[in-house]
Amino acid sequence: MTKTLNLTLKVWRQKGQNSKGGLETYHAKNISSDMSFLEMIDVINEQLTLDGMEPIAFDHDCREGICGMCGTVVNGRPHGPEKGTTLCQLHMRHFSDGDTIVVEPWRSRAFKVIKDLVVDRSSLDKIIQAGGYISVNTGGAPDSNAILIPQEIAEKAMDAAACIGCGACVAACPNASAMLFTSAKISQLALLPQGKPEAAKRAMEMVRTMDGLGFGNCTNERECEAECPKEISIVNIARMNREFFKASFFSEVK
Amino acid sequence: MNWLITTITSSIGKKLLMAITGLCFCTFLTAHLAGNLTLYAGKEAFNSYAEHLHSLGPLITVAETGLLLFGIIHVLTGIVLFYQNFTARPEKYAVNKSAGGSTLGSSTMPYTGLILMAFIILHLINFHFIDKTGTTIFQIVSDAFSKTAYIIIYVFAMMVVALHVSHGLWSAFQTLGVNHPKYMPLIRKAGITFSILIGIGFGFIPVFISLTT
Amino acid sequence: MRLDAKIPGGPLAEKWDRHRFELKLVNPANKRKFEIIVVGTGLAGGSASASLAELGYNVKTFCIQDSPRRAHSIAAQGGINASKNYQNDGDSDWRLFYDTVKGGDFRSREANVYRLAQLSGNIIDQCVAQGVPFAREYGGQLANRSFGGAQVSRTFYARGQTGQQLLLGAYSALSRQIAAGKVTMYPRREMLDVVVVDGQARGIVVRNLVTGEIEKYAADAVVLATGGYANVFFLSTNAMASNVTAAYRAYKKGAFFANPCFTQIHPTCIPVHGAYQSKLTLMSESLRNDGRVWVPKKPGDKRSPSQIPEPERDYYLENKYPSFGNLVPRDVASRNAKEQCDTGKGVGETGLAVYLDFADAIKRDGKEVIAKKYGNLFQMYEKITADNPYETPMMIYPAVHYTMGGLWVDYNLMSTIDGLFVLGEANFSDHGANRLGASALMQGLADGYFIIPYTIGGYLAGNTKKKITTEHPAFNESLAQIDSQVKRLLSINGKRTVDDFHRQLGNILWEYCGMSRNDAGLEKARGLIRDLRGEFWENVLVPGSGSDFNQSLERAGRVADFLEFGELMIIDALTRRESCGGHFNEGHQTEESEAMRDDENFCHVSAWEYAGLEKEPLLNKEPLVFENVKLSQRSYK
Repeated sequence: MTKTLNLTLKVWRQKGQNSKGGLETYHAKNISSDMSFLEMIDVINEQLTLDGMEPIAFDHDCREGICGMCGTVVNGRPHGPEKGTTLCQLHMRHFSDGDTIVVEPWRSRAFKVIKDLVVDRSSLDKIIQAGGYISVNTGGAPDSNAILIPQEIAEKAMDAAACIGCGACVAACPNASAMLFTSAKISQLALLPQGKPEAAKRAMEMVRTMDGLGFGNCTNERECEAECPKEISIVNIARMNREFFKASFFSEVK
Repeated sequence: MNWLITTITSSIGKKLLMAITGLCFCTFLTAHLAGNLTLYAGKEAFNSYAEHLHSLGPLITVAETGLLLFGIIHVLTGIVLFYQNFTARPEKYAVNKSAGGSTLGSSTMPYTGLILMAFIILHLINFHFIDKTGTTIFQIVSDAFSKTAYIIIYVFAMMVVALHVSHGLWSAFQTLGVNHPKYMPLIRKAGITFSILIGIGFGFIPVFISLTT
Repeated sequence: MRLDAKIPGGPLAEKWDRHRFELKLVNPANKRKFEIIVVGTGLAGGSASASLAELGYNVKTFCIQDSPRRAHSIAAQGGINASKNYQNDGDSDWRLFYDTVKGGDFRSREANVYRLAQLSGNIIDQCVAQGVPFAREYGGQLANRSFGGAQVSRTFYARGQTGQQLLLGAYSALSRQIAAGKVTMYPRREMLDVVVVDGQARGIVVRNLVTGEIEKYAADAVVLATGGYANVFFLSTNAMASNVTAAYRAYKKGAFFANPCFTQIHPTCIPVHGAYQSKLTLMSESLRNDGRVWVPKKPGDKRSPSQIPEPERDYYLENKYPSFGNLVPRDVASRNAKEQCDTGKGVGETGLAVYLDFADAIKRDGKEVIAKKYGNLFQMYEKITADNPYETPMMIYPAVHYTMGGLWVDYNLMSTIDGLFVLGEANFSDHGANRLGASALMQGLADGYFIIPYTIGGYLAGNTKKKITTEHPAFNESLAQIDSQVKRLLSINGKRTVDDFHRQLGNILWEYCGMSRNDAGLEKARGLIRDLRGEFWENVLVPGSGSDFNQSLERAGRVADFLEFGELMIIDALTRRESCGGHFNEGHQTEESEAMRDDENFCHVSAWEYAGLEKEPLLNKEPLVFENVKLSQRSYK
C-alpha cells in the first residue's frame, strides 16, 4: 500500500575536494513510499533548485542496481538498511513517517570526496588494471566449447564476478579495506581454467596495488559481505589469501 | 629474501603473521590449561607437574623464547594494523551501524589485545619472575589468589581472553584460506566452544584456589 | 549527396572476407604513430578501445561515468546471440541473418547483418577466453536458451547479468591496455563536439565533469560509441546519463542521422507508478519463455488476479499468434499490450499494465526450477513493487528501451564525416526497424572487437594527414561555442528546472511518437516541441556554476539537444509514410491491425542532414536492396 512520508534528512554537503564539509538538514515532505531513495533525493533537489539553492550532488546512473555508480551511507549503512540492495533499489517503504535519515558519502582515505555525496573511486579501477584480466588479444581465441568448465566452477566464478564495483565493501569495512572487491576479481579468474596461467602474478600484483592505494587491512569483521549489494561472500577473500600464499611461497614470481 | 619481506609486510602477509602466531598461542593455551588442570587434583599433583615441566630444561627455554618472539610479532603487527586501519578512514562516519557481520569479539580485537598484553606482563611478574626459592609453585599460586583484587583481575582477564579467541581462532583459519562451505560452520562453532572452555577452564582456577585454601 | 554504403561485391557470405582482403593495412611499426579517440566505454567502445590498443594504435578513451565499467551495456540482462548451433537445432549464420533481417522488418542492410551473424561465434569465443562466466551445462559445455522470439536456442547468457559480464570482459581488456600505457583513460568527461578539419574528424571537445573545464583532444580518427537516445522520452530503461548529445553534435557537424523514428518499446517492463518516477526498469524478455501474458476479458475488471477464473482471462498473445504465442517480437508484444489497455482491459492502479503469469510454469516445473531461471528477476520485481511474483502474477507494461536509429554509417562503420566512426547503438546499421532480443550485445561487440580494428586501418592507411594540434582554430572555435552555450544556460535563471522540461518533452513524445503514431498527432507534437524548446531557452533554471561539478548543467546541455532531436524524430516519423517495426503509423495497418510496410516507396534508409538551426533538415535516401531474402509481411501467427 502506498503511503506518504515526511522525513528529516541530514545530508553531507561539501563544495569540493579540499573544502570542509558538514551535515545539512532538509525536510522531505509528501514522499511516496513507492519512491526509490534516489527519487526522494530527486524531489529534494528539484525543490532546492527552485528555492535558488544548489542541489545535492550524488552519483547514480542505471538505477536498476547493476552499474555500481550509486551509493551513500544511509544511517550508518552503505546502500541503506536492506540486505542485498543498492541504493537505487532501496524504496522508501522501508522507512517510517517522521524518520530522521543521515546521508553520508563513502568514507575511505582511498576515496576522496569530489562534491557532497560524490566520491572518487578510481582506486578500484587501478586495482583491476594491476591484473584483473586475462591477457588475451582480440582474435584467435579457440572455440568456446574447447574449454570445458564444470557447471559448479562456472557458477562459483559467476558468484564472484557479480561484483558491481560500487565500493560498499570499503565503505562498510571498519578498516576501509578493499579486500572483498579485490578478492572477487582474483577469485573469478583463479577459478576458471583461462585464468590459471597468470594466477600467481595476478594475485601478487593486485594485492600489492591494493595495499599501495591507502585502503586499510582486513581483520575478518565480515561487514563487507553483510553489506555487499550483490552478497559476495568472504569465501572469496579466503581464496584470494590462498592464491596470494601460493604465489608468494610456491611460485617463481617475485 | 626481499620477496619474503614484501610478502609478510603486505596486508595479507600481516594477516598471516597474526594468524600463525595467534594459532600458536591457542595451542599454548591448550597445553597451559591442560597443565593447570592438575591444580584441581591438589597441591602434590600440581607441584609435580611443575617440577616435571622444569626438568625439561633447554626445551623450556626454546619454548619460552619462541613464545616471546611470537608475542612480539603478534603485538607489533597488531599495533601496525591498528594504526593503519585507523588512518585508512581519516573522516569518520557521523552514524555507525553494523550490518550484522562484526561481533563483540571482532570489533574489540585491538583493545582486548592490549588488555591481554598488560595482563600477560602482570601474570609473568606474579608467577614467572618471582623468587621461587624455599617455596612451591602451588604456594605462590595460592598466595596470589588469597587477594580478592587478583581474583577479580584474573577472572576478568580470562573473559577477555575468551572474547579475543572467539574471533581470533576462526579468523585465523579464514586468513589461512581455510574457508569451505562444509567446514567453516564447524570451525566457527569450534572457535566459540574453544574460547568458552579456555575462559571457564582458566577463569575458575583463581576461584577454586581461593575457596579451597 | 549520394550515400555510398560501400558494400563490397560478391556473394553475401563472402563479402566480409573479401572486404577484409581489399582493405589496406597499416604497417605494424606505423600504428603507434596514429592517435585514435574513442568516446564511450560500453560494449562497443570498450571492446574497440582494447582491440585498437592491442594492435598498437595510441588510444584516448572517454566516458561519462566515473569508471569505464559502468556504461549502460552493463544493464543488459537476457543474453547474446550467436549462430554456434551448439544445440544442433538447425541454427546457422544464414538463419541468424534471416531472423535479424525479418525481425527488423526489412529495413536493415543485408550485408551488414550477414557480417554480424558471421562474427557472432567469434564474439563468444573471445569472451570465454577473457573469462566471462557464461552459464554451463553439467558436462562443462556452454548452455543456451531460446530468447526473444527465436525458434532456435542460440542465446548465451550469464544468469540475468549477461551485459554486465560481457562489459566487465571488455573492461578488463581495456584495463590491461590502460596498464600497458596504450590507452589513456579519461573518465567523467562528456563529449560536446567533434572537431572537423578539412572535412575530416580530427578531435573532440569535452567537458571535464569534475572541474568544469572544457578540454580539447586531437586525433587521426574519432570513434563514437555513445549509445542510443531513448532518454529523449525522459522515462526509459536507459541509464540516467544516457543521452544523444555526442551523436547529435556530430550530426550538427555533418554526420547524417538515420531513421531516428525507429525506437524500440520493450514489452516487459515494470509499469509506471507515479509522477516522480525517474526511470523505468526492464524485466528480461526471457520471462516470456515461461510467463503467460493475459488481461481480464471484461474491460474495467478490477478484481484481483486470483479472483478472475480461467474462462474470464484473455491470453491475447497466445490466441492471436498461435505459433509464436507469448514469444512474438518486441514491437508486436508491446503494441498488443497497448491495444489491450486502450480498450480498458489494462490492470493495476493505473490501468496501464497487463499480467505476466507464472502460475502454470510453477505448476509444471516446480517453484525451484522457475526460481533458478528467474530468481534474480523475481527478486528485483519484488524489491520495486513489493509484490511476490511466485504468488501473484507480475504486472508489466511496455517502455522505451532501445533505439534502432542512429548516425548513418557505411559498411566500414564510418559516418558521412570522414574519419568519424560510429559503433554500437549509436549507429543505425544492423537492426532495421526493430531489434531482436539478445542482438544488441552481439552488435556492440562485433563492431568493437571485429569490425573497427580492420576498417579503421583501411581508413588510416589510405590517408596521409598533416599533424594538427589542439591549437588549430577549429578547436578554439568549437571551444568558444561550447563556452558560450554554458554561459547562456547558466544565465537564463528562469522558473522551471531542467528535469521539468525533460519530463514534458518525454510526455509529448510518448503520447504522439511512441508505440503508435498518426499524422495529426505527429504534427501536433512537432508544434508542442518547438514551443517547449522556445520556452526552455527563456525559462530554464540551471543552478550553480560552470567551473565545478554541476549535474544540473550537465543535464541542461543534454536536454537542450533532446529538444532539437525530438523534432527530428517527429519529422522522420512524418516522412516515413508506412508502418514498419517500431514505427507504427495508424494510417498504415492491415485489417488485422498489423504494421503495413510500403516496400515500393519506403524500402530505404532515411538519413537526415543538418541544414542549420531552426531549418528543415534535408532528407537523403539510401535504397535498401534485398538480393538474398524475399520481402514478406512479417507473420507470427
